[in-house]
Amino acid sequence: MEIAALVAAMLFGTMLVPAALIGLVWGVIGGAMPGLSASVTMALVLPFTYGMEPMTAIVLLASVYIGAEYGGSIPAILIRTPGTNSAAATVIDGYEMKLQGRAGEALGISLWSGVVGSLFGLIALIAFTEPLSELALAFKPMSYFALGILGMSIIASMSGDSILKGIAAALVGMMIATIGIDPLSGVNRYTFDLPDLLGGVKPIMVMIGLFAVSELLRQSGGADLGSQARIAVRIVFPNFAMMKRLAKPQGIGCGAGLVEGLLPGGGGSVAAFFSYNEAKRWSSNPQEFGKGSVEGVAAPEAANNTVASSSLIPLLSFGIPGSNSAAVLLGGLLIHGLLPGPRLFEQNGDVVTGLYVGSFIATMAQIPVGLLILPLCMWMVNRPRAYLAAFVMLLVMSGVYSLNGSFLDIAIVAAFGFTGWLMLKGGYPFLPAVLGVVLGPMVESNYRRSLLLSGDDHSIFIEDPIAVGFLVTAMIFVAFSIWRERKDALARSTMKEV
Amino acid sequence: MRKLVIKKLSAAFVFAAISAFFVAPADVRAQPAPYPHKVVTLVTHSSPGGGSDVFLREMVKYLGKYIGATFVVENVSGGSGARALSKLATSKPDGSIFYATTPTYIFTSLLSKPQHTWRDLQPLAIMFADPEVLYTRADGPHKSVRDVIEHGRKARARFGVANPASLERQAAERLKTAAQINAAVVSHEGGGDLMINVLNGTLDAGVGEIQELRTQLSAGKVRLLGSFTDKRLSDFPDLPTVKEQGFDVVVHKFRGLAGPKGLPAEIIAVWEKALPQLLADPDYKKIYGSESLIVDFRGAAQAGELVETFAREAEAFLKESGVIK
Repeated sequence: MEIAALVAAMLFGTMLVPAALIGLVWGVIGGAMPGLSASVTMALVLPFTYGMEPMTAIVLLASVYIGAEYGGSIPAILIRTPGTNSAAATVIDGYEMKLQGRAGEALGISLWSGVVGSLFGLIALIAFTEPLSELALAFKPMSYFALGILGMSIIASMSGDSILKGIAAALVGMMIATIGIDPLSGVNRYTFDLPDLLGGVKPIMVMIGLFAVSELLRQSGGADLGSQARIAVRIVFPNFAMMKRLAKPQGIGCGAGLVEGLLPGGGGSVAAFFSYNEAKRWSSNPQEFGKGSVEGVAAPEAANNTVASSSLIPLLSFGIPGSNSAAVLLGGLLIHGLLPGPRLFEQNGDVVTGLYVGSFIATMAQIPVGLLILPLCMWMVNRPRAYLAAFVMLLVMSGVYSLNGSFLDIAIVAAFGFTGWLMLKGGYPFLPAVLGVVLGPMVESNYRRSLLLSGDDHSIFIEDPIAVGFLVTAMIFVAFSIWRERKDALARSTMKEV
Repeated sequence: MRKLVIKKLSAAFVFAAISAFFVAPADVRAQPAPYPHKVVTLVTHSSPGGGSDVFLREMVKYLGKYIGATFVVENVSGGSGARALSKLATSKPDGSIFYATTPTYIFTSLLSKPQHTWRDLQPLAIMFADPEVLYTRADGPHKSVRDVIEHGRKARARFGVANPASLERQAAERLKTAAQINAAVVSHEGGGDLMINVLNGTLDAGVGEIQELRTQLSAGKVRLLGSFTDKRLSDFPDLPTVKEQGFDVVVHKFRGLAGPKGLPAEIIAVWEKALPQLLADPDYKKIYGSESLIVDFRGAAQAGELVETFAREAEAFLKESGVIK
């Protein structure tokens, strides 16, 4: 009863509800803008929270995060541009569905999966903060290395027809990831004395270039610029049968999102890719993946929205942010003199309760906000294709420029756009390249970090049980993929003979 | 999309109005010193919520009491500070723009050879020192710097630092040299990553700022082993310095302001008078006191010397460790 009264007082007596709603709307808009990642979207409102009540400020920031993780899926589905890093996996089947005229269905599924993911993450945050934060502590550099390798092992199944081309693309991605200050020694690598390259090439630049710009180039090479297949602007929210079908991929997404949110440095993209791949592996319709599978949209969207809440677990329990966006929230806490950690729950319990209640409001408000915003977005992509292409190019380039105000960034995106177009022509898959950029630094730096710790003794990897578990799983995956590849090749060749 | 943009703009406008209301100086008891500019821009390379950003935003709340101008914080992130350096170096040295300095601007200048370096800026003042400490997990075996070093003599010590080209790494490498031990100095992807590896026992000890450890300290999860400062910290009078424990390693993480080269003497005079007053302001004191910042005020001339010495030492360290040629 007491809690109910407290919650009621918060709902009606404070700025909590407006903060959650404003935060959510801004988050969805910022997340949907190509280039503005969830953390940048949060950082943009951070200065405005300085004068607010601590609870209002924290709720606002957390709601922006929830909104941004959802908003990233809108351009991913509609214009093949992931709005945030973690929406890259949604592009695969989401955009395919849009091409088939099923954009409304895809957006409905991503909305529903976003709500499921946020809700799951929130429950984990409220109920299991303590035990889950222990899990975060168990991860050592060796474990991260193995996790990265496990992530890489799914390259094979994302390579399309040729594993060799997939590996080539992944290697290029990993090479791009080496640009910037060496994470261990501090030496500059391939920066050509350009300060803008010190921080490396951001994965989002590679993704926007490969996915969005290459698609625009491809479209402008086509002859049918005048015509445009009209898509229905109605959002198709999943019905009960569909919800049941989506439960499995969403469950996989929630699990992957939960684990990644606990670990610093991830930020949702690994979980999104991983859950996409696992959803495919365990699906009863794996052949639909890549061709507009509803499950292929549900899994990554559930994953990245789970991260929005689960990355707050290590933050609240010991002040270690589980993602870049959680780090911005940490800044928000510190500005208001709030120290995260066990004592936050004792001394500022009202802020924590407010955070829970506000996150819940923002989570549930995703449905009405989404249903209001989405028809507008769909109306926009229904314009004649030539206008749309020009507009998307403008949107992408201005979004990229607004990040750092750097022309080099625009050049990088344009270069990847051209590279992507060439890869498309040559039949090289994009996903392995993106995985290489995302996972390359994780694998490289943690491998070297582990060896530095052990004094170049590789047995350190065998001493870490988590690392062993991941590496063995990765080996099984790779063996399975090779076996299946051989089987398929055999099947193809016998078919030819017949 | 137009609607979205309008929505975004109007939201930004409302936010700007709200924030302007809150940031406006609330208290004008003392008469502020007259200043030739109505608006002064304070630039930081931190993104909002980062170290220097918080430093500036807390400072501008009280600065208006002592200098008769409106202060605006501008985040010029990117290029690890190189972009902010360029902005400052190409601005007029008329007192209308300053930059929040930390060792980062020296390290970035040395590492990436940007178009503009720390030499293109003129230090205006140093205000604080952020004490750097050596720490370990509270339930770990080490109780002092000596314990870690002894461990390093017998086996292999593992020190952790947040970033590869940083003052923290310089402190760890110097400690390793001073103690003549075989040790790994492991760089991380940032403070969070480092803290996990200290807490789970992967590392023997980490080097970091007291401020970054406040959460863990208050939760009783980490133990301080020694401070890399000249004197003991007033907040932790029982914590001996690393130097006291027999290893002569002192580093100085400064926080201050710098402007474009060629600042007029009268501008410097206004700041040199106002900043000590600001540091004595009881409300401001409360804020920085809670962050374990040590007041270490130096005017323009002394700040210039300090930065000069710092850059020389940093360059020597980076060359020694093979980071630059």
